[in-house]
Amino acid sequence: MIAEKLYLKAESLEQAIYEANGHPDSFRYIAGGTDVIVNKFQGNDESTYLIDISGIKELKNVVTAENHIEIGSLVTLDDLQKHKIIADNFPILLEAAHSVASPMIRKTATLGGNLLCENRCSFYNQTEWWREAVGYCLKCEGDICIATGGKKNCFSKFVADTAVALISLNASIEIFENNTTSIIPLESIYTGDGVSPRNFNKTSIIKSIHIPTNNGYKGVYKKLRQRESLEFSSLTTSVTIDKLGEIRIALGGVDPKPILIVGTIKDDLQSLITKAVKKARIVDNDVYSREYRKEMISVYLNRSFKELGK
Amino acid sequence: MKQIKLKINGKQYDLLVNNHEMLSSVIREKVGLTGTKVGCDQGSCGACTVLVNKEPVLSCITPALRFDNAEITTIEAIAKDGELHELQEKFVEKGAIQCGFCTPGMVMTSLSLVPTLKKEDGVESIIHQIKDGLSGNLCRCTGYKKIIEAVAEYALEKHGLKPVSEKGKSNYKTISGAVGVGRPYIEAEKKVKGSADYADDIVSKNALHCKFLRSIYPHAKIENIDLTEALKLEGVHYIATGKELPIKFGVLPISQDETAMAVEKVRYIGEIVAAVAADSEDIAAEACKLIKVQYKRIKEFLQIDDSLNDVGENEKIHEYGKFNNNIHKKAELRFGDQQQGLLDADVTSKMSFEFEGINHGFTEPHAATAFWDENGLTITTATQVPHYLHRALAKVMEVPLSRVRVIKPYLGGGFGGKSDPFPHEVIVSHIARKTGRPVRVRLTREEVFLTNHGRHPSKLTVQMGISKDGFMKVLDADVAIDGGAYGSFGVVTSYYNGVLLQAPYKLDNFGFRTYRVYTNKPQCGAMRGHGAVNTRFAVESMIDELANKIKMDPCELRMKNFLDSNTLTVGHYRITSNGSRESLQKVMEQSEWKKRYGKLKTGHGLGVGCGFFISGSALPIIWNELPQSVVHLKLDFDGRVLITSGASDIGQGSDTMLAIIVSEVLGLGMDKLFVLAADTLITPVDFGSYSSRVTFMAGNAAKDAAENLKKEIIDAIIKVKEISAEELNFADSRVFSNDKKVDLSWLEVVDILTAKRGAVSVSGKYISPKLGGDFKGSGAGLSPSYTFGAVVAEVDVDTETGQVKILNVWGAHDCGKALNPLAVEGQLEGSWHMGIGQAMSEQMKYYNGLLVNNNFLDYKIPTTLDTPPIHANIIETNDPEGPFGAKEAGEGAIHPVLPAIANAVFNAVGVRITKLPISAEDVLNQIKANKLSKEKSLA
Repeated sequence: MIAEKLYLKAESLEQAIYEANGHPDSFRYIAGGTDVIVNKFQGNDESTYLIDISGIKELKNVVTAENHIEIGSLVTLDDLQKHKIIADNFPILLEAAHSVASPMIRKTATLGGNLLCENRCSFYNQTEWWREAVGYCLKCEGDICIATGGKKNCFSKFVADTAVALISLNASIEIFENNTTSIIPLESIYTGDGVSPRNFNKTSIIKSIHIPTNNGYKGVYKKLRQRESLEFSSLTTSVTIDKLGEIRIALGGVDPKPILIVGTIKDDLQSLITKAVKKARIVDNDVYSREYRKEMISVYLNRSFKELGK
Repeated sequence: MKQIKLKINGKQYDLLVNNHEMLSSVIREKVGLTGTKVGCDQGSCGACTVLVNKEPVLSCITPALRFDNAEITTIEAIAKDGELHELQEKFVEKGAIQCGFCTPGMVMTSLSLVPTLKKEDGVESIIHQIKDGLSGNLCRCTGYKKIIEAVAEYALEKHGLKPVSEKGKSNYKTISGAVGVGRPYIEAEKKVKGSADYADDIVSKNALHCKFLRSIYPHAKIENIDLTEALKLEGVHYIATGKELPIKFGVLPISQDETAMAVEKVRYIGEIVAAVAADSEDIAAEACKLIKVQYKRIKEFLQIDDSLNDVGENEKIHEYGKFNNNIHKKAELRFGDQQQGLLDADVTSKMSFEFEGINHGFTEPHAATAFWDENGLTITTATQVPHYLHRALAKVMEVPLSRVRVIKPYLGGGFGGKSDPFPHEVIVSHIARKTGRPVRVRLTREEVFLTNHGRHPSKLTVQMGISKDGFMKVLDADVAIDGGAYGSFGVVTSYYNGVLLQAPYKLDNFGFRTYRVYTNKPQCGAMRGHGAVNTRFAVESMIDELANKIKMDPCELRMKNFLDSNTLTVGHYRITSNGSRESLQKVMEQSEWKKRYGKLKTGHGLGVGCGFFISGSALPIIWNELPQSVVHLKLDFDGRVLITSGASDIGQGSDTMLAIIVSEVLGLGMDKLFVLAADTLITPVDFGSYSSRVTFMAGNAAKDAAENLKKEIIDAIIKVKEISAEELNFADSRVFSNDKKVDLSWLEVVDILTAKRGAVSVSGKYISPKLGGDFKGSGAGLSPSYTFGAVVAEVDVDTETGQVKILNVWGAHDCGKALNPLAVEGQLEGSWHMGIGQAMSEQMKYYNGLLVNNNFLDYKIPTTLDTPPIHANIIETNDPEGPFGAKEAGEGAIHPVLPAIANAVFNAVGVRITKLPISAEDVLNQIKANKLSKEKSLA
């Protein structure tokens, strides 16, 4: 018989986590669900118990604190623009959110969900039948990376565009787990391992995203893609300079994790760019070739600095 | 299962819902509101958009249980009390609806979008916001232009930026006149309301659901199929395998090489190996997983070059065929003396080109339902060719032709992708017979891509020579096309790749050689612009190259070489009307070509291309003496003329075209006409919607029928009135003489006609004239008429990234006479949009024979934001044999747009494009190489 499937629309964080702990092997949280559901259709997600957290109201607020703002993890990508404080202070976050998927998906997809968006690869984001035909890759219990032919590492792409912008804005996340909350830098949850790209307890929930407000960030965001809508990233860059001259370069789409390079305006910008390019472990798992994406990192970063007046 | 309450369109429902059931499934299957469409199962096409608590939601990827107690609004609730919503009226009025499959999603998205538009920045900004807001809704028919016009006008009126159009003034309901008057499709209201039923919308009681097990190997012998575990699954009723259906079929009589399921071996990854019919789709899918197949792999052939080589024993993809390799068809024709042509030319050029495969990308996935009763087999299916499917089913089911009925419901786009008999149609027919129950099937988007039949990937080398004063001396093309695993239309495609190069330019020395090879990939077939898109691209690129070499304006060079009207081509095509010059002239003027070409700064360019296509194939696919099209008219006491025709409206507007023609001949209002089409039991044979034949052939048949009815009416009137036939006029739904001695209302006419006789039925037909030379292969590309066109494209190329952005497309197409200008514009805009897709972003990518981008996220159809302003121009040349002068408008227009874009890139940055889609990386590398060689030569 076909396995029984369960669905719960959680009313509170506590209920969601309680249910998750009760079904540790079969559950999956869904917020917007726009990626999870497609992964389920394709058999990449085999969870039988969906815990829908999209109705938890306390995660939908945007709060201004003394030195930062707190964006609830369930604020949708589309709703971000409705908050003047975000528009005024962090336009690159809005640009990043606007560059994700399509208008309708952005009305359902949440900021927290985008941060936890599963890494992607042409050989992985396929139906079960397809993956059987290609011979299953490392990311789905096979023993070889089809993109590289290697046996050790999975290089599925990190494609959370908003994370790239947020990391360049030095954002942290507030995580709720085991009845405690902790605040950690956003970039610290990404492992760089394409098979398990996040060191994040499966039962934990991101409550909010914190962005410091007093740093006076100026930023430039760019995304390489073939179409102007309906695209995961082939390369995402976000560059910020704060009022003290600290430079943060964040890249997405070119490595299993977001890449962060920190420097100052006193540094040689070209050497920062070279550092970023060197750090990116790009493989041929995208519509654009490895070489081209690599080259575009430099072009995009140079342009970003130029737009920032550097 | 859980119980939820949903208020859908104001009505309260208590529904039992599967725990992981999507909202679209609940709305369509449980509530029965099938106006909400499912096109991709991925949230990538937007057809499934509904409003939940007034916010738009992609219902195909959203679990229904999320919405307990929510208020859902679907397309069915937008029209109120029988009146369309203002936005729906705009969609209808502007011609924003073609196949109509994306329409409900477009309307729902737009309805939620319009109130959020920021009007402070003016009209331009509003239009951009609309494009942005609709950029998750794919349309394959319209090129979005008319959709954006419809939404923009509604939005501007709503926001008080434009006076509300007076009801009755611009209202489409009061349009009078017929030929030459732009009007929405007769079924547009039904489509915009979501009440037009497509193949998957039609409910059959007690139906079984069919799913397929597909091959995971490109080329393998099937050693064993074990159904034991699958048959044990509760709810499974029948499992069919290939051996039950051994009779081969195919659209062409010479390529009957496909079985419904693989019999002895599989020939591509994705070929159907077994089919399960069960109580639900889920059960059938689960059963497919339990089927165990043992394969023994055979060497696979995935590239054109591999298939040209001799092969070992048992390695041939198909046993039939003369050669010991995997070549399916060789075609070669030569006219004049090409060697002499090369000698006569002052400048020659030889270039090679490569093209990836292209998929039709229609938004409605294939779907069919079959059942058997005392009348034999009835199948309702998304097909462009009911007639050929009728024949194929009779053959494979081994029943007389009289025991098969094929019905085409509303169809969500075809573009050639629904113009073959398909395995799934045969399989559901077979299982329906075996189980005695109706059997349904609908393909997933991945399966649609695997079914393919799209444009052939191809590799070609073309040699051309011209004199220094710009006259073409020779053209020679060497073409190899990758047919995939089966024949389909491939023999025709092979010829079209060559023969359709013999115009629009005068060529005395012309030849080509084409190979079509089998490979172990999904089969290719006919797609819009059939067989000529890639070779046309090559030739138009080379003309640009040669013009550059002799420093002549490429438009001028083309003007010098165009064939005239009423002439013969070197390969004996009879050219009648020819609007090449007018088309090119038009786009030159609009683009300010003379003022701007060659004077733009680096990175900014203009390019031109021209085109040529058939307007219906003069020869039938299956040799017989049937007319190519027959139309019946029936007029009874109520005054309504029933038009019956086998022609398939696939969204291109052929039903409306038939009505317009009958209306014109009889001077009869459209409200007195009713079109019933594409039901092989009821409608007379038309060969189908392929090779751009319907307007010309079914249109002429309708005209003939209407003239026959007119004769009947005149005969009846002159018998009872003192008047001669010549004095009678037919207009405004009346028949009268100029002196009003006779002045009859339509119902009076009908009374006279039907007195003591009853309903009158007449028939009309179209038979193509005998055409062509007496050499072998002379039949390829023969058409009673040909169409011509031109496009100028303007691009911006980023010299640091190689990215190409199209700024404008100006197009002109000679369609003879636009019977319905609104529909013709829509066809042209859609053609150019599709060409832009192939030029810029679309390609079928394979990895070891496995299609990598089998969905609408990775197969990149341009969105609203990727579609530049398209300026459409209709050129009218009044063809002597077309109905009221009309020729095709649905396919030929695509040809010039691709090379125009590529030539514009050359103009912008000096990079000649020889591969499609245009790769930013290649452009960038070539820019660098050019720079380097320039520096070297300077040094």
